[in-house]
Amino acid sequence: MFEGLLDGYTRSLLIFAGINVIAAYSFYAPFKTGQVSLGQAGFMAVGAYASAILTQKFGIPFAAALIFGGVVGGIVGVAVGFPALRIKGIYLLLLTLGFAEIISVIVLSWDYVGGAQGFRKIPFNRYTLDYVIAIIAVLLVLFARLERSSLGRAMDSIHQDETAAEAMGIDVVRIKLLAFGLGAMIAGLAGALYAHHATFMDSTTFNVMMGVEILMFVVVGGGSTFLGPLVGAAVLNIIPEILRALRDWLELLPVAWTNFYPMNRVYDFLHDFLDFENAKRLIAYGVILIIMMIVRPDGLLTRDGLRRLSPARWKLKHA
Amino acid sequence: MPDAPANGVCLAIEGLTKRFGGFYALNDLHMQVATGHIHALIGPNGAGKTTFFNLVTGVLPADTGRILFEGKLVDDARPSKRTLRGIARTFQNIRLFPHLSVLETVMIGAHCRAFPSVVAALGKAVLQPPFGEAGEERTMRDRAIELLAFFGLAERQDAKASDLPYGDQRKLEMARALATEPRLLLLDEPAAGMNPHETLELDETIKKIRDRGVTVVLVEHDMRLVMEISDRITVLNFGTRIADGVPGEIQSNPAVIEAYLGEDVKL
Repeated sequence: MFEGLLDGYTRSLLIFAGINVIAAYSFYAPFKTGQVSLGQAGFMAVGAYASAILTQKFGIPFAAALIFGGVVGGIVGVAVGFPALRIKGIYLLLLTLGFAEIISVIVLSWDYVGGAQGFRKIPFNRYTLDYVIAIIAVLLVLFARLERSSLGRAMDSIHQDETAAEAMGIDVVRIKLLAFGLGAMIAGLAGALYAHHATFMDSTTFNVMMGVEILMFVVVGGGSTFLGPLVGAAVLNIIPEILRALRDWLELLPVAWTNFYPMNRVYDFLHDFLDFENAKRLIAYGVILIIMMIVRPDGLLTRDGLRRLSPARWKLKHA
Repeated sequence: MPDAPANGVCLAIEGLTKRFGGFYALNDLHMQVATGHIHALIGPNGAGKTTFFNLVTGVLPADTGRILFEGKLVDDARPSKRTLRGIARTFQNIRLFPHLSVLETVMIGAHCRAFPSVVAALGKAVLQPPFGEAGEERTMRDRAIELLAFFGLAERQDAKASDLPYGDQRKLEMARALATEPRLLLLDEPAAGMNPHETLELDETIKKIRDRGVTVVLVEHDMRLVMEISDRITVLNFGTRIADGVPGEIQSNPAVIEAYLGEDVKL
């Protein structure tokens, strides 16, 4: 799909943005039951390495390896989810963070997958964009249905008051495990897609910062509705591109407009400001996070907000 | 020990003990709740009433002793499993789901009856019809609406649970607990924070709950309410049962008056 339509740069951009969307849903699933994980990058690593071993070492087709990556991610997720059941809040954050670090150390010291040299020559999958789009579509349908189902409501109730939910006969243990395992499985898929597009990874690829970014997608987009992760990941991936485009546009201005004081200073400042690479991106994320926490702590989209916008509600009001 | 009640024992407590460090919150408690009764549990603060609820619902494990619900041991089951078996509760400090609507709150109670297994719930969530609502959803909704009407909350079904006035929040907790279709309902201070008018209403409400076939165990400080509606009363002090009987006996029991002495409570 889209081979003729998109140039390589745009394709790659869309693929990474799409993988981020999938990763955002991997955070959203456990978060729906109130479990905040900083270790989703660790589950991505599990899926990435599991699938890349199959394709690179055994020549198994990508589609099968992708499923394998998701399944292994999910199994590891359930294993980590058991101890995670007993702890909450900051302690769960630390547990998941520690898990991601353990994975990274294992990868670093395991020569079979390249050790410190990194895992090289992973077969490139040229249809990654199609897979990404298909998986996002499936996730949207899945979480939309979850949101209007009794199970989804039960998850919300666990998020809001676990003790009360348990007292109402909600099987808190199984539902939290299910959500954690589902999230880890989705992360595994995202990792497998990543590995076969980037074709190289090492112990620093799926690092703590990636876990923080994944959390950011949901915090910015909004964790109370299934559309939040999509919007959050999209917005945070598009902002740098918009800034880049603005910078390109800035460079097209006639030199005569900007080669005198004070316009040259303005130009330099803007040109610098719009350079949105690496370190600056992290600063920008930090600033965005602080502003979000003050202005919209529940994220850009909230379920109540969407309800207010829904056509049925509007009709009722204006009848 | 009181004689076994004629119409069966709903809840039997045998030698229940719970220690926190060296402090006995409950000490060798024996007690029977007859099916179909409103059974009040009273006592000064710290007497072990809430601990009793937490042990019966499984929030805390008991140190020793047995809890029998309808003749069967419940000791090891998790709270949600006990709810499935027919024991529901409300909380002393109201614990509603702040972001759910009133209707959704009651539907949470109905969830465990519609979907006793998580796998079934997941299957239904994934395979639901794309438009309209699934059959279970409609059953749960109808049941929730019926319960809201029972408590006079039908008008507020779309309000947020946390936006309701205090008295209504207590009623909503009862509606949510009844949605789990219990045969035993534990009410933890249902009149706390209610005005006198609401408390009078509560008399009728609790009686009506009993008349639906639900046995009620009531922890309450409002003595007028307790004496008015209870079929039987157990009095605790420092984790020990000091009296057990019908309201008339309790009011004239010297040990009870002794325990309450100094507190401004008219028995």
